[in-house]
Amino acid sequence: MAVAELEVERALERMFARATELPDADAFVNRVQRRLDRGWAARRILIGGAGVVGGVIGASQLIMSNLFSRAEAASSESARVLTSSVRQIAPQADWLFNGPAGIEAIWLAAGLAVVAMGLVLTRIIEEI
Amino acid sequence: MSRAERHRLTSLHDVELATLAASGDRQAFGELVRRHGSAVRALLRRIGATATEADDLAQDAFISAFESIAEFRGEGTFASWVKKIAARAHARRYQRDKRLRMRIEAAEPEDVGHSADPSGRMDLDEALKSLAEAERLCVSLCYGAGLSHTEAAEALNLPLGTVKSHVKRGLDKLKTRLAPDGDTLEGRRGSG
Repeated sequence: MAVAELEVERALERMFARATELPDADAFVNRVQRRLDRGWAARRILIGGAGVVGGVIGASQLIMSNLFSRAEAASSESARVLTSSVRQIAPQADWLFNGPAGIEAIWLAAGLAVVAMGLVLTRIIEEI
Repeated sequence: MSRAERHRLTSLHDVELATLAASGDRQAFGELVRRHGSAVRALLRRIGATATEADDLAQDAFISAFESIAEFRGEGTFASWVKKIAARAHARRYQRDKRLRMRIEAAEPEDVGHSADPSGRMDLDEALKSLAEAERLCVSLCYGAGLSHTEAAEALNLPLGTVKSHVKRGLDKLKTRLAPDGDTLEGRRGSG
């Protein structure tokens, strides 16, 4: 392509690039921001709604499957096995089970860990 | 947004704002819209969209840009990146309406019957209006939105040769009709 032809094209590109600010520029920015905010709010509602639905389904499944009574039985058995195992491995860990809270402290810690994982998961979904 | 926050955003470069926007900062993205909104809307009007269509398409383009801001690497300018998104969206809309193909097939180059300038020369907006619609579209996509001929052909779903012909004819007409800042493209051409 001739140099002169390139000059013409560059001049045309410069003319296209030259654009004065439109009088309703601020209103346009506000419209775009409102749409962004709406999209953001809709996404939060969607995630929250999905979480609630998931929680309700999960809770109902737990109740329907009679899990709690089974968990209670399993818990007693597993606590007994765990205690005897730990005592065999580390007799000095007796304080853990013989303390004021005993085995409940372990279950409480496990529960807190699950809650923490849930919060992390929620945060990750929000980021996505 | 506080005045200090606004001042901080206005002092940042586009690439820095885009990085903030990529981390979810909508205020930073708003500053980008503030800087380049008019240019994108003006381009769409030059391509041939009405003022309302241009605003809708520009909004869609910015929303789309926000959603895929992580893809903006700062290799070109942010404005040219959004312009390409907007121009492609306009081409898609045209195609969807099937108006473009009908108009291209029926297009007869319009003759310029009037001019904003007594000397017969006009500014870019006026000169573009004097082109046939397909010529205007192809010239604007290539020189306004920065698409290559191949990209424009893909966006319009037209053969590459057809796009090149429209661009060539459009350029030839613009050369004789444009009067940028009292100068003409022919004048620039001569001095180049």
